Amino acid sequence: MTHIDPQLHRVLDGELPSDDLTPSQREQFAALQRAARLLADAPAASVAARVMTEVRRPRQSLGQRFAQWLTERHTVTIAVRPVWSLALAAALGAIAVIPARGPGPVLGEQEGIAQFVGRFPGAKSVEVVGSFTDWRPGAVVLRDDDHDGIWRASVVLPVGEHEYMFVVDGERWITDPLAGRYVDDGFGRQNALIFVRPLAR
Amino acid sequence: MIGAGVLSATDREPTDGEVVAQVLAGDAEAFGVVIRRYEAGLLRYATRMLGHPDAAADAVAEGLVRAYRHLATCRDPSRLKSWLYRIVGNRCRSHLARRSTSDLSLDDAPPIADPQDSEAATERAEQLAQVERALETLSPEKREAFLLKHVEGMSYEEMAQVTGERIPTLKMRVHRARAALLEALKEYE
Repeated sequence: MTHIDPQLHRVLDGELPSDDLTPSQREQFAALQRAARLLADAPAASVAARVMTEVRRPRQSLGQRFAQWLTERHTVTIAVRPVWSLALAAALGAIAVIPARGPGPVLGEQEGIAQFVGRFPGAKSVEVVGSFTDWRPGAVVLRDDDHDGIWRASVVLPVGEHEYMFVVDGERWITDPLAGRYVDDGFGRQNALIFVRPLAR
Repeated sequence: MIGAGVLSATDREPTDGEVVAQVLAGDAEAFGVVIRRYEAGLLRYATRMLGHPDAAADAVAEGLVRAYRHLATCRDPSRLKSWLYRIVGNRCRSHLARRSTSDLSLDDAPPIADPQDSEAATERAEQLAQVERALETLSPEKREAFLLKHVEGMSYEEMAQVTGERIPTLKMRVHRARAALLEALKEYE
């Protein structure tokens, strides 16, 4: 392997001037600089039109999906996410035994209810952002009505797989440690995955 | 009358933060500014990472569309450049992971200059082909380190934002990449 003197590394890092390099160091310096210059010249076809076509393609927002849901006929389906804790199990049990009052929300065959639960003691706000909110905050806010540090929200989502993260106090993005399934978010971190499915009728 | 050619405060180029805010406020067309500002560098980076301009165009286009759709998650718009390089770098790494080494071919390299080109251009194309072959022998991590440092001209702090690695790790990687590249250049000379 070619040896490079630490002094040359410092010159290449811009920490030292190149004046004091030995002839052999100067040769290596020039070879690396020449390589970098050649590599910097990389003409390529623009992708601007391709990207802007996708950018301009209308995407259905959560609000639009909700409006569509309100105007369509539905049958009830309930999907239950893996239970976070005994507390959640108790809560879900309580929900299950509450008798229905009136017609209530009716979901389509391709929709289910996702339950989001996280333990964030001391948090002032917790929300969920995900592929179903176009990763924009503000659409799904969790609540901790009994101030026990466990935050919950239920939301109607299309059947299928969704990526999500918790946003705590509007600034801390946290991957759900209890999701069980994750996917690389493309930015070096992981998004949690939830699979929403309709219950068998 | 408005004086032509006189720059006012509103004539200045918007900052990355201003452009991001504009896009998030619903002006999708403003994303064109982001593309115009960073497309060339991202394409150059991806082309050198992947060794093929078509694959690079795919990586950059996919990366920019993803960036647009997830723009609200860009927590520090003043670091938009690093964020975009990170996204495209991840697309490149995914592409390299999917592509077996048997797929690598010198046919993928940009063509040598047309015979009608000048002698100097032909010589430059041959030199570039040598450097590209040498670069291809580096591991993806070393290749990325060399490109970000010496071709994209990033500081180690910026590189850390792009790669998520610690600065000492990146310095070591750059040092090893330089030595490996010099070694490979000797073989292709």
